[in-house]
Amino acid sequence: MIDLLPHLLNGLTLGLLFALIALGFMLIVGLMEQINLAHGSLFALGAYFSFMLVAAHLPLPAEWVKAWTTIPLGWRYVTALVFAPLLTALVGMLLEFCVRRTYGKDPLYGLLLTFGAAMVIEELIRLVWGTRDYVLPVPQAISGGIILWDLIWSTYRFYAAAFAVSAIALVWLFIERTPYGAIIKAGAHDSEIVRALGINLTRLRMFVFAFGALLAAVAGIILAPIWGIRPHMGVDAVVPAFLIIVLGGVGSFWGAVSAGILIGMLVGLTGAYASEWSLLSMYVLLIVVVTFRARGLFGKKSLLEA
Amino acid sequence: MDKDSRDSSRLVTPAMLGFIVLLCTLPLWIGKVGLYPYLGIEILIWALYALSFNLLLGYSGLPSFGHGAYFGIGAYAFGLFQHNIVPSLWLCLMAALGAGLVAGAMVAAFISHRRGIYYAFMTIAFGQVFWVVAIKAHSITGGEDGLLRIARLPADFGFANIDLADNTALFYFVLAIFALALIGLWRLVNSPYGRILQAIRQNETRAAFIGHNVWLYKFTVFSLSAGLSALAGGLFAMAQTSAFPDVMSLHYSGYVVMMTLIGGGLVSFWGPVIGAALFLLARDIIGAVTTGWMLWFGLLFMAVVLFKPEGVAGWWQGLRQRTAGMSGNATGFARLRALLGGRA
Repeated sequence: MIDLLPHLLNGLTLGLLFALIALGFMLIVGLMEQINLAHGSLFALGAYFSFMLVAAHLPLPAEWVKAWTTIPLGWRYVTALVFAPLLTALVGMLLEFCVRRTYGKDPLYGLLLTFGAAMVIEELIRLVWGTRDYVLPVPQAISGGIILWDLIWSTYRFYAAAFAVSAIALVWLFIERTPYGAIIKAGAHDSEIVRALGINLTRLRMFVFAFGALLAAVAGIILAPIWGIRPHMGVDAVVPAFLIIVLGGVGSFWGAVSAGILIGMLVGLTGAYASEWSLLSMYVLLIVVVTFRARGLFGKKSLLEA
Repeated sequence: MDKDSRDSSRLVTPAMLGFIVLLCTLPLWIGKVGLYPYLGIEILIWALYALSFNLLLGYSGLPSFGHGAYFGIGAYAFGLFQHNIVPSLWLCLMAALGAGLVAGAMVAAFISHRRGIYYAFMTIAFGQVFWVVAIKAHSITGGEDGLLRIARLPADFGFANIDLADNTALFYFVLAIFALALIGLWRLVNSPYGRILQAIRQNETRAAFIGHNVWLYKFTVFSLSAGLSALAGGLFAMAQTSAFPDVMSLHYSGYVVMMTLIGGGLVSFWGPVIGAALFLLARDIIGAVTTGWMLWFGLLFMAVVLFKPEGVAGWWQGLRQRTAGMSGNATGFARLRALLGGRA
């Protein structure tokens, strides 16, 4: 039994990070009623941007890059943790500028448009960074392992889980305890009234899209050392994200978090027993749950059903 | 009676006949324009696949985004039947069609009561299940290495046995199947059944209120579309002489959506054919200049979704009506609004 604990920790970490991706995805679904299939590409971009900063693969003069490498790895990592998501948020804003034209139309439009965007971003990644895998270097303090109860535990998993928990808590505080969060929730409920109340809906939507992109990028950076950085990592992330939304129920914060953890644990556990089939388990779970509960575990009726 | 409604009651329209005659001459000139006969086979197969996909997206308004699964199932069924049961072309093609029908019916039984984005999500989930199985069931499908050594079996008509190993012979064989499917689909979409599918696309609730069993229509059209996609997949396995899991991935499932939409599947029967040809030509022509051809095609696709979701066929219809002096593209826009504007 105790042998399973590391697998459970791995599953939990993965689930929490999936939940983080799904939350950004859900904010966009809530406010814009659009599915952002390019969310995974933003996740991948976050990982690539952080790799550029941490491993000093910068398109800058050689002396500058050299000066940058003299800074300790820890500081470079922290800088990447701040600037890579911000850069990704800028890309997200650019994307929102295109997606904007589909608001108020059938979600199918946005789905197709962002699918095209995902193809374009993935191809851009291939052109800029090539098809090879990269490994994101992490500071000494969070790498390596510890031995506890005769088992080896990876320090990074603890760090990643803690990081994801604090990020989710911050998102919750932001949505539930700040006036901005109240506006976002109100916008998801009825955007016309929010506009009538004098709030700049265009700017609000752009901000929320950028915020979602930022969350995806953060998850990308934290998952990068676990998954490795490769061009199609975006698809690997966006599919679980939408599974989590459907499983947890569209529009439910805790639904997304619990579905994320559930899927993470399931992938972790099946990974321990039948690693070949661990990917399959989450689809089967979704099909089983949604067959019996049409709107997922915590879902309410949403506009996406029409 | 205007031209369109006259065409819809015909078995073979003049446009169809002209197109097939033009295709018959293709092996004579394709080499001269710098292309190769195999491309013709590929375009026909993908056009058949896109046509059967458009039965769902364009005619019934059902967004199936994991359709590559059925194409792949057809390819594997063709190969496995040939390797393990009987190496007979007709039976192998029947096996591909049958496997697609069964897999499609299984999935349709789970999803036919859904609509909209949830329908899209569920089709993606099922598509991914088939894809993962194809990759992981190494002993059956060969995993990521693919199922190799699939023979191009000879077409045995009883009185004549035609060898299809040559690309030109295979092209004519695929063309024959494509022409039959084209006629069959044309009759299907213009039959009462096809009309009800279009009613479901316009408003599912109203179609149900008139007394149609919407679930049954959605179930049958999904199975049929999956079956025909699998038939195309079987032909693809024969053309490639192998079957790989890639075609079942989310990317490839997306490509068929791209083809259908860019060609104008939302407003025209011919949209998927135009789109498939455009997609494969772009792959070869842009791909010859730059490795990142998907970048440019993806940008083109985004532009089409944003500015001209009726695609090439819609653009052509608009052009024709403008020259004919009619105001606006009434049918095109109405059909599009019904699909994308949704809930009126």
